Amino acid sequence: MSILKTKDLIFEYKTSEINYRALDNINLDIEKGSFVVVLGHNGSGKSTLAKHFNGLFVPYSGDVFLNNLNTKNEDNIWKIRQSCGMVFQNPDNQIIATMVEEDVAFGLENIGIEPEEMKKRINFALNSVNMQNFRDSIPSTLSGGQKQRIAIAGILAMKPECIIFDEPTAMLDPIGRRDVISTIHNLIKEGITVVLITHFMEEAIKADRIIVMDKGKIVMDDIPKNIFSDIEKIKKYSLELPQITELANELNILGLDIPKNILSISEMVDFLKNVLKVEDTKKENWKENLKLEQEITSNKILEIKDLNHIYSKGTPFEKTALKNINFDIYEGSFVGIIGHTGSGKSTLVQHLNSLLKPTSGNIFLNGEDINEDKKKLRSIRQNIGLVFQYPEHQLFETSVFKDVAYGPKNMGFSEEEINKRVVSALELVGISNDFFEKSPFDLSGGQKRRVAIAGILAMQPKVLILDEPTAGLDPIGRIEILEQINELHKRTKNTVIIVSHSMEDIAKLTDSILVLNNGEIKYTGTPSQVFSYTYELEKIGLSVPVICYLMHELNKIGFYLPKNIFTVKEAAKAILDIKK
Amino acid sequence: MKSVTLGQYYPIESKIHSLDARVKLIGVIIFIISLFVATNFLAYGIVGIFLYFCIKLAKLPLKFVIKGVRALGYVIVFTMVVNVIFSPGEIILLDLGFFNITLEAVLWGILITLRFVLLIISSSLLTLTTSPINLTGAIETLLSPFKKIKLPVHEIAMMMTIALRFIPTLMEETDKITKAQMSRGAEFDSGSIAKRVKSLIPILIPLFVSAFRRADDLAMAMEARCYRGDINRTKLKELRYTKNDVIAYAIMFIFLLLVILTNFIYY
Repeated sequence: MSILKTKDLIFEYKTSEINYRALDNINLDIEKGSFVVVLGHNGSGKSTLAKHFNGLFVPYSGDVFLNNLNTKNEDNIWKIRQSCGMVFQNPDNQIIATMVEEDVAFGLENIGIEPEEMKKRINFALNSVNMQNFRDSIPSTLSGGQKQRIAIAGILAMKPECIIFDEPTAMLDPIGRRDVISTIHNLIKEGITVVLITHFMEEAIKADRIIVMDKGKIVMDDIPKNIFSDIEKIKKYSLELPQITELANELNILGLDIPKNILSISEMVDFLKNVLKVEDTKKENWKENLKLEQEITSNKILEIKDLNHIYSKGTPFEKTALKNINFDIYEGSFVGIIGHTGSGKSTLVQHLNSLLKPTSGNIFLNGEDINEDKKKLRSIRQNIGLVFQYPEHQLFETSVFKDVAYGPKNMGFSEEEINKRVVSALELVGISNDFFEKSPFDLSGGQKRRVAIAGILAMQPKVLILDEPTAGLDPIGRIEILEQINELHKRTKNTVIIVSHSMEDIAKLTDSILVLNNGEIKYTGTPSQVFSYTYELEKIGLSVPVICYLMHELNKIGFYLPKNIFTVKEAAKAILDIKK
Repeated sequence: MKSVTLGQYYPIESKIHSLDARVKLIGVIIFIISLFVATNFLAYGIVGIFLYFCIKLAKLPLKFVIKGVRALGYVIVFTMVVNVIFSPGEIILLDLGFFNITLEAVLWGILITLRFVLLIISSSLLTLTTSPINLTGAIETLLSPFKKIKLPVHEIAMMMTIALRFIPTLMEETDKITKAQMSRGAEFDSGSIAKRVKSLIPILIPLFVSAFRRADDLAMAMEARCYRGDINRTKLKELRYTKNDVIAYAIMFIFLLLVILTNFIYY
């Protein structure tokens, strides 16, 4: 039985110049109780489509039906919105009340439920998302993942048949993402129809059906296995392969006869179990061809000595954010900092350019204490460039060029020097000169972020720090930014520090990693050292690259494989080594 | 974070905390009336003792409450000085040529300052002991008779709720944008006033852009959850008076009566 149906759906955004066709003839039929994932790059029309399902948008032409109720008919709209809820991307911007309980009640108040019944439903909803202990909490004290679950509870309380999720995990850390995804899977088990829009392929592999959108059209519509076996199309529509599928392809290229559409770890393990024999591998075969110790050939550029930071010291709100941090960063290295939300990552990087002052301890740049001389503050901030999370939110000028020039101007460079720096910074991030005079607010999300990064690069810092540079971007935007950062690192030989939740990104780029937990250093070392602590990292709210999990699973059933492998290429090599 | 205690909800359990927010709101209004009725030191004594008694009953640390007043220290001193200098009087204490400082003026200055300080403390007592959500609820119920004259009471309360909800979010955002611009070499605490005001532009524009974006998102999220104003709406928490609330009303009435009576004792 179908629950959602669209018929010849067309939608256009009207601007003064052009009519932009966001949805082009969509015909869709979604089965009741199914789990449908919608993929597609930014601007492909996914969100616009989703907003038609509960009548937030009304078709330009064509029709949308929910349970055979047409969204065009105004009399149906409240019934439709009650049976088809929607969870949005930004956890902050969908919580209305100042208390969790009140927020869950918001929808119920709107549809006129009696207070007694409301209380029952709030209990039920908070239990379903495992947030029953946060009834009286203030939303702003919750983590992103918790806020999203509150948003889900607010919808659940209205007893919907169908919930649309519009990139619900895009702004979350790994633990938040895991909690939200497992909540979604519980809902599916309860029989609720789920439509999930996402940029994370790993979230799509369990779907009953994947719909891929491009330029406002549905271009693929199939089960995950079939979707991810068509690599040509996946590339064409700017998507990625799940890590395990990528490994299957890599193994295939290296000559192993393996189906290219393996999606999950368990499938991969099952397959390898049959192809490779446990006896083939012995402990002696371990090939530790991986670099374990970082070769140190350069000077220390940054030294962090006994750093402590306590917020609101001496008040009831006192909180220790950093405890005895000792860490050296070498010139030309690429350092990754990981840790769950609230582990002290942001506090730490804000110390590095003197935005925050240590409660005790010191930070040295090339042997000089950065907090010693206030007059040098400007030069410290020029030498240590810090790109904040969602840096595009700090753009303010009337043109791209002017915005990038803001930093160098503050540094007091000459007009000529400023121009030179701006042009070269924008070139580094791949923004061509046709964009220089455009308003930064007219650019796409990925372009805005690159302009914002250029704003820091224009100061030509010796150390570049990036806080979550890929957060909230689609796969193609993610890849572009990372490639540019990598390219930059190679070209300028500058020191780069990257804070990220994406372990795959960290694994690909960095040569050493610092793991923070509750304000303390938990591990330091090369990626292969750090990622070998798979389950310890998981315990402190982090995830490791999917490949690490696979290696552990293979070890469990008796294959002796090095546990410090974390990239697809290394894994493929190691697996084939067994066979030899 | 700055240590502004003025008006920040202090979440503990006490007799005052558990009173209906309407009682506290009306209580503060009665208290303010009593401050204006009080014209002699006896009355101020009663008012002061009553307030002290309320603070104790609310289990608030006295230091914490006074610290909040200190934030307004300059304004208080200024009020005092202005009143002492410009109030008329006959008994001259100090002759300074341009103007005289008189006994009446000094007494008046002290009285006005006391009134001001007590006013600050009483209103901060309200917000210290009442969660924002209860306060908006109380305002909505107390204003509801005005719906008849087309006052958008529900909308006002909803606006207040949303404002309260987003204050911490926007403060965090301001902090982040400020730091981000400082990382680009911005300085906000040097140069002439014009220069300083200009240096705020890189903070204000992103802040406005973000506030509008949030407003857009929020409107969408509210609509998706069937919000359509005050039509057919129920409320999770209906305010209901308890025995303690009635007692509190009685105490406040007696208190006001006492303050008024002091005027007759004096004349």
